[in-house]
Amino acid sequence: MKFFISSLICIGLSTASSLTHAQEVLPQQTKKTTTQVKLTSEVKLSDIYKSVVRIEVATQNPNYNIPWNSGKFGGGTGTGFIIGKNTFLTNAHVVSNARRVLITMHGSARKHPARVLHIAHDCDLAILQVDDFTPFETLPHLDIGIVPQLESQVRVIGYPVGGDRISVTRGVVSRIDFRSYAHTRSDKHLVVQIDAAINPGNSGGPVLQNGKVVGVAFQGLTSADNTGYMIPTPVIKRFLTDIKDGTYDQYVTLGITRFPLFNPAMRKIYNLKQDDPGVLIARFYKDGPVDGILEEGDILTAIDGHSIDSAGSVEIQGERVDMSEIVERKFAGDKVQLTFIRDGKEQSAEAILKPFPAAEIYSVQYGKRPKYTIQGGLVFQPLSRNLYVALKLNNPRVRRLFTKYLTENIFKERKDIIILTNVLDNPINSYISGYTGNSIESINGIQITEMQQLHDLLNPETMPEFFVIKCDGLNRPLILPGKDIQKHNQQILKTYGIDKASQLGN
Amino acid sequence: MKFIIFIFLITIFSTHAEERLPLLKISSTSQEYNNAQPWEKTPTITHRGIGALIGKNQIITTAEMAANATFIEIETLDSKTAMPAKTIAIDYESNLALMSVIDPAHQKLINQMEPLKIAPSPKLEETVEVYQVEDSGRILLTKGIIRGADIVSSFVDRHFFLTYEIKASMQSAANSFTLPVLKNGKLIGLLTSYSSEEQLLDVTAPEIINTFLQDANNGKYTGFPSLGIGISRISDPHFRAWLKLDDSQGGLFINRITRNSAAQKAGIKQGDVLLAVDGHDIDRKGFYQSQSYGPLYWAHLVRGSKKIGDKITLSLLRDGQSLTKEATLTRQPEGIIPSHMYGKAPRYLIKGGFVFQELTNSYLKIFGEDWQTRAPIDLLDALNHPEDYEQGRKRLVILSRTIPTEATLGYERIASVIVNKVNGKDIADIPSLVEAFKSPDENGIHTIELDNLLKKLYLDAATAAKVEENFLQRGLPSLSRIKE
Repeated sequence: MKFFISSLICIGLSTASSLTHAQEVLPQQTKKTTTQVKLTSEVKLSDIYKSVVRIEVATQNPNYNIPWNSGKFGGGTGTGFIIGKNTFLTNAHVVSNARRVLITMHGSARKHPARVLHIAHDCDLAILQVDDFTPFETLPHLDIGIVPQLESQVRVIGYPVGGDRISVTRGVVSRIDFRSYAHTRSDKHLVVQIDAAINPGNSGGPVLQNGKVVGVAFQGLTSADNTGYMIPTPVIKRFLTDIKDGTYDQYVTLGITRFPLFNPAMRKIYNLKQDDPGVLIARFYKDGPVDGILEEGDILTAIDGHSIDSAGSVEIQGERVDMSEIVERKFAGDKVQLTFIRDGKEQSAEAILKPFPAAEIYSVQYGKRPKYTIQGGLVFQPLSRNLYVALKLNNPRVRRLFTKYLTENIFKERKDIIILTNVLDNPINSYISGYTGNSIESINGIQITEMQQLHDLLNPETMPEFFVIKCDGLNRPLILPGKDIQKHNQQILKTYGIDKASQLGN
Repeated sequence: MKFIIFIFLITIFSTHAEERLPLLKISSTSQEYNNAQPWEKTPTITHRGIGALIGKNQIITTAEMAANATFIEIETLDSKTAMPAKTIAIDYESNLALMSVIDPAHQKLINQMEPLKIAPSPKLEETVEVYQVEDSGRILLTKGIIRGADIVSSFVDRHFFLTYEIKASMQSAANSFTLPVLKNGKLIGLLTSYSSEEQLLDVTAPEIINTFLQDANNGKYTGFPSLGIGISRISDPHFRAWLKLDDSQGGLFINRITRNSAAQKAGIKQGDVLLAVDGHDIDRKGFYQSQSYGPLYWAHLVRGSKKIGDKITLSLLRDGQSLTKEATLTRQPEGIIPSHMYGKAPRYLIKGGFVFQELTNSYLKIFGEDWQTRAPIDLLDALNHPEDYEQGRKRLVILSRTIPTEATLGYERIASVIVNKVNGKDIADIPSLVEAFKSPDENGIHTIELDNLLKKLYLDAATAAKVEENFLQRGLPSLSRIKE
């Protein structure tokens, strides 16, 4: 069951990039800047090395178990490279939760302070800027190339573990696939697999072929040797195009859950012949791009004129790829033409694509302070992937709300699923035990829909005699007395070293 | 206190008189169904224990010895005669069973022995004797003292009965799965568990044995009664204040009422506070003062000596007002998800590669030790909140797994999904599912409606039939089991 659902969700949420088309939409920014120092295959390797920089990052990682704490300070190194005037490309995961970023040139000891200009967690890419670009002015700008051929050779340049100086490895392109990006754990895009090892520190470094960038090294596989993955150029180019207007808008989605139409009995019911195209629409997200256009039980037969086969694949320029790739190459506000069969009749409609923020509940969040509110020693936090993992939540009702948040349209009623995560012992709550890890259904009879509302209900102008707090699936309510609660709150904050009783923004 | 105990921990060898006690060796072979593949059974297990003759051809032992037995043999202590036997009454909840030998010649032999009498309820700190038998047939006797009485679940989860905690240092001997415990030559109870580390034994109380025997000798065995409420403690002073309970009162918060239970029929409501049962005040932790044992958990007032049809008086507090309700005790309604499947075979149906089963507690255990958190959420939700699924159902039918076949092409990953309808008919249990599959549509296609992301599955009846025939040829004993 779990397998079934998760696979369907992935399809629904997934976004992809085109294999071949995006190379035509070279970002202008890159074009302009590369003219300054023309980089061709004749350029000496040592020149390219200079454009590959070492990135040193000091991080502060929030602690979802103790959300009011500053979090853990740590750090790491990664690689980046110059793609334009004061424009360094690297991975989002290299600079996530960064408090200080320093850039070092190859063969130089000087550390240049830098900052994150754009960060795209969903495709694991980021743009950095240094405070003073003068020392970098003369360095070549690396050009973004094409998707490399299978079996062709590539070079990975970076600063991986095992030494301080630059490292170069060679590899062969062994697979071009649509797969998971580990940074958010919920996004899937095009990935190129190479047989050169990609190690910690390599992240954000360029993968080169014929003097051009064909990918950004970003993840490896712990269960296999000599397997590295890079973000290919269509994803990089989409990111660069997206940020041209100054902000990153994220990938867009159709917001559908599909089911392949392999089963002969199923095909008979839907009156489909052996080679007829189409996949079944099992669910769509309320308020998503196809809400009001598609219905459950429709057969989606074509997208932007590309015929969809029974597995959900389309053909783009001779390559058979997942239909998500059509959507992957598009941006917020772009249109997509959908052809579908309803009640035996073919229809056609246009959907306007947009990102789907509710899906963020499944993505690992970075650069955000965890939200919480404390009343009477009870700690409340909104459910997120970070919280779910940090607290190892396993209450079946909470698991159910989390898993079905999108598919059962729970997000429509309950923007936040709020969890009682901790009870900070104090005389006011000393008999409350065994309730942590449950989700809050109502307070004083009012259904809980979001964090701010819960906070307001728990902090009224005049305190009620009791706060009656009901958890989902539990009949016995929690009772907090309103009298003297402020006095206890002050004591709790002091005893447990809590600076603020709540954190409602990021 | 501990020093005093050691004086009693002496194992002595039997005297001539004890050799004549009507104790018998029991050897029982049992086999369970494989819940993951319900058409099969798991390997056999053999349990050995000691039973006691307590009536004409009636040998008492634990239900654990008799559960799912495929063969039972009773032997005299000297192992001279082996006698095939059968179970004549069994109560899984209280973990008691009654057996009798089958052969008339054996019956004659057995009935030459003088049956044991059931001892009156002992007092705490009294000394009792645990009987073991060595391979040679010699009786090994261990003395122990009763340290406490508590409500314990010894076999089926969540069924609690009065049990003594006895301190004794026992030797491990060949026949020690279930052992009789005696006092002054009379049966006090049966040993259900022993912790060698703590040297503590759990022994079923004579009250429970007496109730079981009365029921068993009444013709048809009915079982222990139940009230049908779920409770939680109310030691929290704020919660008490909200319930308008004053500090002199104890009481338990009733947080759940089982559907069709004695409590529901008596008009007890979720949110009521249970203050007293039959005049016994219940404290805020759920204990009442029992005459013989001191503080004892309230549930004993329902399951201790009461029978089905007996009345029970409950003092309640509702919205700050006192009220009294009289409940007539009944058997606990089984609900749509049975708490155990002992002595029953799991029902199933295989249709074209889809395996349909009824959800039970035993089924969920196939998801491993952490099944209570790791099992599929839809199934756990049904287990924890059966009231949401009861409408129109006797059991909860699930599509437990999909065997890849021609008929299930494209459906391979579908598993652990709740089934609502088949061919337009509501599914109440496996027999109704079998019935519903008899009428595919005019094109020979079955429609299966699920409580799932994908709401409808379609199955070609002709392809399914071909696949099923293949299953039978490849060694599947049967495509369905309709009878439990």
